[in-house]
Amino acid sequence: MIPTFNLTGDMFLAERLSIKFGKVGPGDIVLLRSPESPRKVMVKRLLGLESHSVTYVVDPMNSDRCDTIVVPKGHVWVEGDNIYNSRDSRQFGPVPYSLLEGRVFCKIWPPKEFGSLMKSGMKDPDL
Amino acid sequence: MRLLSYMGQWKSAAKEVLDRTAIVAKFLCLLHVTNNYLCSPTLVYGPSMLPTLNLTGDVVLAEHVSHRIGKVGRGDLVLVRSPVDPRRILTKRVVGMEGDTVCFYVDPMYSQTTVVPKGHVWIQGDNTYASSDSRHFGPLPYGLIQGKVFFRVWPPDGFGTLEQ
Repeated sequence: MIPTFNLTGDMFLAERLSIKFGKVGPGDIVLLRSPESPRKVMVKRLLGLESHSVTYVVDPMNSDRCDTIVVPKGHVWVEGDNIYNSRDSRQFGPVPYSLLEGRVFCKIWPPKEFGSLMKSGMKDPDL
Repeated sequence: MRLLSYMGQWKSAAKEVLDRTAIVAKFLCLLHVTNNYLCSPTLVYGPSMLPTLNLTGDVVLAEHVSHRIGKVGRGDLVLVRSPVDPRRILTKRVVGMEGDTVCFYVDPMYSQTTVVPKGHVWIQGDNTYASSDSRHFGPLPYGLIQGKVFFRVWPPDGFGTLEQ
């Protein structure tokens, strides 16, 4: 999730109410339980809700090929900000909405980066 | 002077109200922790688990400890959150764990074999003719399992543990 989060570890606050009421949208950073290792919780950016059409770069290290997918019902599409080194929906597919655990809204450590996190300035989520 | 005695009464009444509210709050906290992390009764209904569970509704006890420590295995009845509708909870049986090869019938003449990927399980209803399960929406991420059903409380003639 570079450059949003540092490699050496950041602390942030995440709230769980938005997920329960369905108030998350594209551009939010979310905590989700990994579909591959159920004990791990990942932090990724939400790019598409159900029935959204998402365009993603399949393998940015080797080619510029893009693919478009429609997110199925009850699922979401998540991607890390550092697409060159991130294991996300481009590898394991859309994730069921119930695996989302929280929404990140404020970074608290390191102190010089304290504050609310911007919605992604690098990607334009397709709608 | 009367004002002072009124104040005394209010103080003791307020103290009693606070004490009773504290007891109720503690009870609700205990109830919440037990329901979500230990054991909870659930009403399950629908035709997809006949003959194990009835059509019109059974009250079963589900425990929420096994799936956190990885003790859910083949043949267990589990409560899972539906991957298609996040607000529904389904009751199905785990037929395959990660790495297993599962063979299932799409229609009576055509069978298909898949390998369950890492971190997923394959669930099926006991009544395969009327069940929407992994044969339709694919393998289910393990993180969607909410609990393991181990006991039936209602109806009284079905009281007891549920077989594997």
